[in-house]
Amino acid sequence: MGRTVGIDLGTTNSLVAYLDPQTGQPKCIPGPAGSTLCPSVVSLDPDGSIIVGEPARRRLLTQPERTIYSVKRLMGRGPADIQSELKLFPFRIDPASTNVIRVQLGDRVFTPPEISSFILRELKNWAEAYFGEPVDRAVVTVPAYFNDAQRQATKDAGKLAGLEVLRLVNEPTAAALAYGLHEKQRGKVAVYDLGGGTFDISILKLISTSDGDIYQVLSTNGDTHLGGDDIDNLLQAFVHEQILQTDPIDFSPHGELAQELRRELIALKHKLSEADSASLRFPLPNGKIFTREFTRGSLDALIRPVIDRTMVPVKQALADAHLKPTEMDEVVLVGGTTRTPLIRRTVQELFDRKPHTELNPDEVVALGAAVQANILDHGVQGMLLLDVTPLSLGIETYGGAVAKVIPRNSTIPASAQELYTTGVDNQTGIDIHVLQGERELAKDCRSLARFNLRVPPAPAGLPRIEVKFLIDANGILQVGAKDVRTGTEHTIEVQPSYGLNDNDIERMLEESIEYAEQDFTERQVIEARAEGEAILSATAKALVNPNSANLSAPERAKIDLSVTALKQMMQGTDYKQIRKQMDDLNHATEHLAELLMNAALQSAFEGKKLAEV
Amino acid sequence: MASPLPIANAPLVCWNCHERTVGTHFCSSCGKVLQVPNNSDYFAMFEIPRKLWIEMGALEQKFLQLSWKLHPDNYVNATPEEREVSLKRSSELNDAYRTLRDPVGRVEYLLAIEGARKEGQTKQQAPPELLEEVFELNESLDELREARESGGDTASLKQRLHSAGKNFETKLGELDGELQNAAGQWDKALESNDPSQRDSAKAKLNDLLNRRSYIRNLVINVQKELL
Repeated sequence: MGRTVGIDLGTTNSLVAYLDPQTGQPKCIPGPAGSTLCPSVVSLDPDGSIIVGEPARRRLLTQPERTIYSVKRLMGRGPADIQSELKLFPFRIDPASTNVIRVQLGDRVFTPPEISSFILRELKNWAEAYFGEPVDRAVVTVPAYFNDAQRQATKDAGKLAGLEVLRLVNEPTAAALAYGLHEKQRGKVAVYDLGGGTFDISILKLISTSDGDIYQVLSTNGDTHLGGDDIDNLLQAFVHEQILQTDPIDFSPHGELAQELRRELIALKHKLSEADSASLRFPLPNGKIFTREFTRGSLDALIRPVIDRTMVPVKQALADAHLKPTEMDEVVLVGGTTRTPLIRRTVQELFDRKPHTELNPDEVVALGAAVQANILDHGVQGMLLLDVTPLSLGIETYGGAVAKVIPRNSTIPASAQELYTTGVDNQTGIDIHVLQGERELAKDCRSLARFNLRVPPAPAGLPRIEVKFLIDANGILQVGAKDVRTGTEHTIEVQPSYGLNDNDIERMLEESIEYAEQDFTERQVIEARAEGEAILSATAKALVNPNSANLSAPERAKIDLSVTALKQMMQGTDYKQIRKQMDDLNHATEHLAELLMNAALQSAFEGKKLAEV
Repeated sequence: MASPLPIANAPLVCWNCHERTVGTHFCSSCGKVLQVPNNSDYFAMFEIPRKLWIEMGALEQKFLQLSWKLHPDNYVNATPEEREVSLKRSSELNDAYRTLRDPVGRVEYLLAIEGARKEGQTKQQAPPELLEEVFELNESLDELREARESGGDTASLKQRLHSAGKNFETKLGELDGELQNAAGQWDKALESNDPSQRDSAKAKLNDLLNRRSYIRNLVINVQKELL
């Protein structure tokens, strides 16, 4: 069994972390370029290979039609849900998409879980390179306010990336775990998490018991489509308008120019978090240069509406926890967007206390995921997380109304039983429609699944079928049914309303092999074999050198034996054994290398292995 | 039922070692987490009598204590069967805590397991002593809706509805008080082990729940109209 890691699959950046057994503290793993942030950008190279992270981000400018960012916004959503996003984001949706969205990259189409799986696989590779060991299990974080379909899509992405997703953990809860371990906090904690594309607020109670610390989430709320992206969109729309006043430039959202401007504006936004003013210089295609001075005040005016939108979920979460803002003991800020000074000030004023920002807001969620990964890997040790379901689960009843069966903010796992019977004689099925949301009418809630409950023919009202709805510790729904009279249990095939079914996933898993880098072991075997070949050919070359005649018979025999053993090992797939035989052969040929070197009398050869001579 | 003995202590066969066991949550023989017996209930799960007055601090302690042991986090590396049992037990523990913590949900649940919850016709009918006021309130609601459709003056109608709504909110508060008294009656009847007193307490609780749900719906409807 390989290692278990924690992964923050973010809208803008993704990270992978692990718990360092030496220090007992979580740590983010850097990629090949040294940064722990992997931009959540995926590009399809014209040669068919998949490019992820910083190199893909650079292609946003050069190959925008083959490159996608912010794919998290599309996870678990149907074509009808995303119409408003399409105006703001350069997503190219395959017009043939039915209930599952397909995104076009160049001449190929991918589902959002597939694109996310490329990001997860990249992080898996980072971690494997770092440990020198395979990684096959992960805790992946999701926005607390993600619904069932969005969670399921994230879990599917993990599966497609070759990772067993041990648990989906809510991002603000993960952040609280990281802070709890860091600062030994106690009492009531509010976590305000404004990321690239999502906003969450969670209210937790940290309890010390004789068994250890319990992190109990009291309530959570949020908006899965509100984040730094929205600030960028506002800024971009504002500057477009300014430019259009003097120059009729075409800013199609798919174009390179729009991407270039966006990049400049994001840099400008970051500068304004540090400085009071910053200037934008943007060369236009007509040769002119658009120049403008921005003050922090002008940015604040622009982002005020975004902050105001976060206050609605904050108030609801506090009300659900039956707490006032001033009753919180600690406030924690999470997500890159909370670097904005106006957000820090607003949060501080609301809760009347200075928010915690000690841990890097980009890393803190991944760090918490690593803590939870360690708990799951080694069993609960002095730390337990009790999370809640963010949305009420309901069943459509007569007339399109919704009967709530599991209220929002119920501790998960949570379940509910409903008893069903038939209305007419010999009725063989009952249609059940499961929904998620707070509204009273089914049409205003999120459809999770519809299924037909099979009933044995009987007089009306006689069958008694108990349907059990269970939300597991990942916040994902499971449904089971039991015939109360006979006691037989039915398994129910629940077809998700907006998601991949098992066949889809099976097919994608097959297809993903085409893109997947070979798994860790396979790569190791290939590398070891290649190095083995090099040593074998160097040895063969040395043995035909006349100077090799000076080897003693036992020496020669030992070399021949080692060569045979190595060749044999290279037939197999045990890369450790291959490397061991390589070492043996290197050892056996030490004298041979010496002889050759002495003969050549070339000091440049000194201290080199035979393979290098 | 003669005494509220926790039923979960009745003999049960362990799914894992197949021994007869007397544990409530864990097998007394092999220590594995146990399936919930079919006849268990939320009170039994917390090993408390079926009383409506519950000491919240003790309930929370017990909840946290059991959470440590039953939560699926403990069973990630267990067999699929044990994982399944843990998921089920852990969800039932959370369901139980959610229900018992809520003063009204607790009464609903008690009556359901005592077989004494009868929603039936009374749920849809106005309590007799309130008939007149309910009639007036519904009239105000209709008038407001009509005025809104015809574009007429709604301000004074809203004012009238608002004060009528306040009146019912007060009644809801009174009902909660009555519910608390009836809950006390039930607890006493349980202690004295008097079947007739228990039955009358249950009937009273059932009646109060129906009234409460009727009035609560009215209040919610009024609030929605006034939004």
